[in-house]
Amino acid sequence: MLQRTPLALLNLTHDRRKFVTSLAGVAFAVLLMFLFTGFKNALYDSQLQLLTKLNGEIVMINRLKSNMFVPIAFARRRLYQARSFEGVEAAYALYTSDANWQNPETQKTRPVRVLAFNLADPVLPLPEVVAHLETLQLPNTALIDTRARAEVGPTEAGIITQLADREIRIVGTFNLGTDFASGNGNLIMSDQNFLRYFANRGPTEDERSFATADIGLIKLKPGVDAAQLALILSENLPNDVLILPRDGPQGFVMRERQYWEENTNIGFVFSLLTAMSFVVGIILVYQILYTDIADHWKEYATLKAMGYTNWFLLGIVVQESLFLSVLGFLPGACVSVLLYQGAGNATGLLFQLTVRRVINILILTFVMCLVSAVIAVRKVQATDPAEVFS
Amino acid sequence: MDSASNLQRQSPARTSGEPNVNSLLPTTASSQPDSDLAVKIRGLNYYFGRGDLRKQVLYDINLDLPRGQIVIMTGPSGSGKTTLLTLIGALRSAREGSLRVLEREIIGLANHQLVEVRRNIGFIFQAHNLFESLTAVQNVEMAVELVGQFKDKRSQATAILDQIGLGNRVKYKPEALSGGQKQRVAIARALVNQPQLILADEPTAALDKKSGRDVVTLMQTLAREQNRTILMVTHDNRILDVAHRIINLVDGRLESDENLAQFVKTHDPKALDRRMFIL
Repeated sequence: MLQRTPLALLNLTHDRRKFVTSLAGVAFAVLLMFLFTGFKNALYDSQLQLLTKLNGEIVMINRLKSNMFVPIAFARRRLYQARSFEGVEAAYALYTSDANWQNPETQKTRPVRVLAFNLADPVLPLPEVVAHLETLQLPNTALIDTRARAEVGPTEAGIITQLADREIRIVGTFNLGTDFASGNGNLIMSDQNFLRYFANRGPTEDERSFATADIGLIKLKPGVDAAQLALILSENLPNDVLILPRDGPQGFVMRERQYWEENTNIGFVFSLLTAMSFVVGIILVYQILYTDIADHWKEYATLKAMGYTNWFLLGIVVQESLFLSVLGFLPGACVSVLLYQGAGNATGLLFQLTVRRVINILILTFVMCLVSAVIAVRKVQATDPAEVFS
Repeated sequence: MDSASNLQRQSPARTSGEPNVNSLLPTTASSQPDSDLAVKIRGLNYYFGRGDLRKQVLYDINLDLPRGQIVIMTGPSGSGKTTLLTLIGALRSAREGSLRVLEREIIGLANHQLVEVRRNIGFIFQAHNLFESLTAVQNVEMAVELVGQFKDKRSQATAILDQIGLGNRVKYKPEALSGGQKQRVAIARALVNQPQLILADEPTAALDKKSGRDVVTLMQTLAREQNRTILMVTHDNRILDVAHRIINLVDGRLESDENLAQFVKTHDPKALDRRMFIL
């Protein structure tokens, strides 16, 4: 039953105050790693939160629309053409446009993105949208995203302000979040209202009509393979449109993510910050382990004199480092969850904490502590047991 | 109690508790059979440093320690006492001469072989070197685990603590023990595996008179009852009486090797006076 004396654990926990400080140090390093990878993932994930909610297995866009920022539309008749193919259930058009929104409190204008579609089509079947289908049919009405940035002002039903220099009435809210292309937030309105606001905005702005759509959604019949049908559609339709399955490694969603990964420094900056936190963690844990060894080196040297091998002492230090990593990880992860929520609310970005990401950080923490242990153990191995006699 | 009788059984079959008469006489380099010797040193030289900084600290040491003897090593500081002790304890490796410990030549052994040798030797230091985080019995168990006796480690450790009079302190941590008690725990740790050879460096230096006396009496009893060999470095004149032999090391050379009576005679203050005039 009782095996070895748990020397590593007992040494680590003997001085309670030092133990708690040590754990706080490890937890802090874990927190930093969580925070920086969190921001990196949030910036990427947020670009995709609208796209993954679109109701269509295949997406059609203008071939020149390399990312959601590019305001190039395609001919809507391509969608009608797609409908004639075997396996296509329906095809919907989504219209988007940037417009100035006037904050009803400060009267300052801020760019927002308007999403519009035929209310008869289930383009964006969010429960809040479905609930407000009737009121959205009234002229000059829209829904506003509750996770829009604070600059937009209050986000609630009943607000009356100006959008694109024209009065608008907010009749409800929904919950989506911001991304790079959405400016300060998203509005949802009917396609009829979209024409009211954007058909004729003056000589400097593009005229919008139902002849063009920004994103086409193709809904498939059950059991149809999206990738295969997307291929057939691309071959048979004129190549001014790009037709992609929504999901999958070659899909529309991944393409958007790849665009931001390859064309921004987000990945580099936050990976660098994560690496720095990792190094800070190594130094912290090394300090903790080194102090333990320095404080007990006479005892460790005695163990060596008694006949314990260097491997045993290496084991002790590695065990201490593993205890530190596990026990420091837990509080670090808990605080991170709170910080993610806070940061998500403040920015409207999507902070997702998936099991895989948690495991990644846990592995990073393990590696961090093991590296420290290997550096620190050189001190123990260098202890000359003969020195205990002097 | 069970393990106490165990101690008895495993000691070599020497029926008389007393060391034989022969071993009481000075035996710097006797012609006893090797199996009667715990330590046999011939022509041992040892150097510190290397190259131009190489400095010899031990010169041609010849010394036999028969089993069952308590030998006290004295000498001025810097004379190489501790170095000799660590060489015998396989904590350093020498290159010149012959050094047999418990019938094994340890000159030229690799590091991991030295570790093996050390497991048969009990070390007692000036400082107790106990882990503050472990209780008395756990500190002793660390030694029992070394020989892989996981099952009855607790009973072994408790038995030896009982034997040295700390049976009611087994669950105490070192900070709750007095200096003498801590040193006794350290002795229990050194003795629990029944080593045939015990090396002690100033074991009483940090103790008051009574604790120091208790500690050496304990060691004396062990040597007598279980035929252990004890080599002790000390400056503590109060405990010289436990020794069968007293060897004196000066400047890395064995200066004298006497039994207690001779030692007292040569170190008689009146005799010293006369020598001082010669100097």
